[in-house]
Amino acid sequence: MTDIMIYVHIPFCDSKCFYCNFSSFVCGEDIKRQYFEKLNQEIVKNTDKNLNVTSIYIGGGTPSCVDERYIAKIIDALKTNFSVSKDAEISIEANPCSLTNEKIKSYLKCGINRISIGVQSLDNKSLKTIGRKHSKNQAIYAIKLAKQIGFKNINADLLIGIPGQTYSKLKRSAKLLLRQNITHLSAYMLINEPNTLLTRLIEKGGIKTVSEDECVTNYNKLTKYLNKHGFVRYEISNFAKDNFECKHNLGYWQLKNYLGFGVAAHSFFDGFRYENPSSINDYLKSNFEYTKNKLSEVEKIEEYLMLGLRTIYGVDITNLKMLGYDILKQKDKEINFLLKSGFLQLNNNHISVNSEHFGVLNQILLKLLP
Amino acid sequence: MIEKQTNIRNFCIIAHIDHGKSTLADRLIEKTGAVATRDMSDQLLDSMDLERERGITIKLTPTRMYYTLDGEDYILNLIDTPGHVDFTYEVSRSLAACEGAILIVDASQGVEAQTIANTYLAIDNNLEILPVINKIDLPSAHVNRCRKEIEDVLGIYAQDCPAISAKDGTNIEEVIKQIIEKIPSPKGDINSPLKALIFDSLYDNFKGAICFVRIFDGQVKIGDKIKMMKTDKVYEVTEVGIFTPKMKEMEILSSGDVGYICASIKNLSDTKVGDTITNAINPTKEPLPGYKDVQPVVFSGIFPVDGAKYEDLKDALEKLKLNDASLKFSPENSVALGFGFRCGFLGLLHMEIITERLEREFGLEIITTAPSVSYDVYKTNGEMIEVSNPSMLPPQAEIERIEEPMIKLEIYTPPNYVGAIMELCQDRRGEFIDMQYLEKTRVVLKYNMPLAEMIYDFFDNLKSRTKGYASLDYEVYGFKPSELVRLDILLNGEPCDALSMIIHKDKAYSRGRQIAEKLKKIIPRQLFEVPIQACIGGKVIARETVSAMRKDVLAKCYGGDISRKRKLLEKQKAGKKRMRQFGSVELPAETFISILKTDDND
Repeated sequence: MTDIMIYVHIPFCDSKCFYCNFSSFVCGEDIKRQYFEKLNQEIVKNTDKNLNVTSIYIGGGTPSCVDERYIAKIIDALKTNFSVSKDAEISIEANPCSLTNEKIKSYLKCGINRISIGVQSLDNKSLKTIGRKHSKNQAIYAIKLAKQIGFKNINADLLIGIPGQTYSKLKRSAKLLLRQNITHLSAYMLINEPNTLLTRLIEKGGIKTVSEDECVTNYNKLTKYLNKHGFVRYEISNFAKDNFECKHNLGYWQLKNYLGFGVAAHSFFDGFRYENPSSINDYLKSNFEYTKNKLSEVEKIEEYLMLGLRTIYGVDITNLKMLGYDILKQKDKEINFLLKSGFLQLNNNHISVNSEHFGVLNQILLKLLP
Repeated sequence: MIEKQTNIRNFCIIAHIDHGKSTLADRLIEKTGAVATRDMSDQLLDSMDLERERGITIKLTPTRMYYTLDGEDYILNLIDTPGHVDFTYEVSRSLAACEGAILIVDASQGVEAQTIANTYLAIDNNLEILPVINKIDLPSAHVNRCRKEIEDVLGIYAQDCPAISAKDGTNIEEVIKQIIEKIPSPKGDINSPLKALIFDSLYDNFKGAICFVRIFDGQVKIGDKIKMMKTDKVYEVTEVGIFTPKMKEMEILSSGDVGYICASIKNLSDTKVGDTITNAINPTKEPLPGYKDVQPVVFSGIFPVDGAKYEDLKDALEKLKLNDASLKFSPENSVALGFGFRCGFLGLLHMEIITERLEREFGLEIITTAPSVSYDVYKTNGEMIEVSNPSMLPPQAEIERIEEPMIKLEIYTPPNYVGAIMELCQDRRGEFIDMQYLEKTRVVLKYNMPLAEMIYDFFDNLKSRTKGYASLDYEVYGFKPSELVRLDILLNGEPCDALSMIIHKDKAYSRGRQIAEKLKKIIPRQLFEVPIQACIGGKVIARETVSAMRKDVLAKCYGGDISRKRKLLEKQKAGKKRMRQFGSVELPAETFISILKTDDND
């Protein structure tokens, strides 16, 4: 049996947020029906009972905006076509507007045991700025509901750097979330991607952005605040209470095998990386034959470093040596410098980035790459 | 076949930059049918891309044309010349190979600095000067005023000189007619031993070094044994020919001819420009006078961006030197930039052209340091050393005095800019010598000024202050003691040798501050704070800080898509390749030249 993680992409949303440039569409029921049929075909095509599924992640888009029966069917299909482990972590993303009593019950029933709620902020003005359709109270209500009906592992997303957001506003949002006894928190810095409505509004003027430096300062303050309340920043942008780290998320950084189903989904299997078509029409027409790229020896080392250093566990230098890279020897000068100046730590045969310097991970990486 | 020397005319065209030299050359070639019209591309003789793009001529390019006048066939040999002040040296080279010169004057601009300088060069070389007024198609053309100016300023009779438009071809025949009638034919002796002047050379991968020659006496053909008079090296001629302007093989070259000689010469250095070629068996007694060796006046360090390309840079410089004898270079080692070369140039344009050619023709990525002049440093122990690299300046305590090269500067300008120019010259430590009205609308200002002050964006400043109307000419006349100090730039506490400069004491403070501010803008943020300090003799006079980088990473991961992170990392990797590691600080390649471009209002 080979361990595997599965990602399923649900590309639908009820409305597009101002900062989003990801693969998501607002569309009618007909397309949704076709899409889920296709998704089922893709799962069937990849059927392999010898694969032991350790985690499933249903992401989007907004998976909670589609009829819950679609989701149940997908989970069923996965259970039929793969060997889903009993203690598998099964997550779904949801937004406060579309999450209902019925949906939560249905999710729990089909085995979903972790829910990630796209809160982003608990400040009504901030929510409006980025085009979220829910209010602060709706978001709190959604978390309460999920908890009440039975979810024990709840994540909330929080955005940092929303125009107009001060640290005190950010802290207030975090405080309100902690009060709801969430177990996991993802905190992302807002990136003004090209071709998004928010970027266009900023370029037009009138919307004052938060400087990168201020974002980082706020992020570090938030990290300290969350630490104080029992949350550890175990990965660059994720915080969890003890034992609530997202296995699926960690798996990406630990080079675990994963299969991605659905439009724009990515897979990493047996040393090959490949991606599904990013347009929904291409996906619907697809015969699921994709060009797969085998990672070269150097790429393997690079990815191991690039991904591994995103977590506080860092990378194992013995593993690197096995990949043919004796980092302590070959980057002796750089590592010494980084250790001395506090960017890196060397513990137990692992090198890891000091979490307060996660923001400049790439600069550190550039010094460590072969 | 035209055999008689009396039917040959060897001439060049001299002019101020942009007065239409290359365009006239093209029209002459077209009119005499040397090149089929379909092969014409604008500015035929400017063969380098760089020359065509900038509309300037750098290399000498000869061409032979045929013309029939009153039933008599003539050979016209044109040797094109560079127009810019930096290349005066090359101009004098082509002049020595000619009997006459066409002097072009722009009908709207009149006589300019380079017109005068080149005319005197031509007179010094005993050439017959044939003035031509060009650009009469322009609405602002003043042909008669121009004739008067040529007579008043240059003292050359100009009442019957052709008024032409090289652009649209008006009166080109008249120019050809006057070339034949007024320029004397060569007066060599075909029966004397061979005497040929090398006025340029070129390296060809198959033929070896090719000498561009003017035959003064005698003849040369395939199989002849020839001797270079400077080196005494003997070669056997494998090919002789002329320029059409493409190289065309001939049986023989005789006195009066302009052409080329190939003789399986392996090294370009054996075909020294200015040397005389003679027959090895029947040599001439006296070589031709040749040329003065030129001394470079502007120096700069050139380093490969990628340290591994040192050998490539060396090869490229050697190849450039083959047909640019004025380029000087020697190996240099810098703490900040690694191995490279200290190069000497005739001037700033020359430097710019060499660096551009290295980049374009050889595909090299290079870093140039701010240009410097060569100082004479008198040490307290009585020794004198020449310092062209600021980091080589001895400690202050060992210096008795420093002398810097001085120039005589002449600026030609309409009178309304005199104030602005005087202000500029004063600011650049210029010493006012004289001011003369050449005529109502033209003034010449004369200054003595340190050369070092010229090399910091003086041209740009002059152009912007005079809306481009002023032109200038300068020559180095000697050295003068001056209160000079070395300004060092410390990055993260370490002096960066490639950023040091020698500067007048009174200017050191303001420049130090400017540079520190400029560097702050150029040096990207790094993992840690980078202090920038400007120092004189260990004393910090200015300080800026590049604050530490805070964020450079994509945190969000969409459904296992790591390709975005990979892309960002690849981009950052590529950017890093272009960086120079100086201690623990990373510097972009442009850091080193940017300090030169600090202008007054920055």
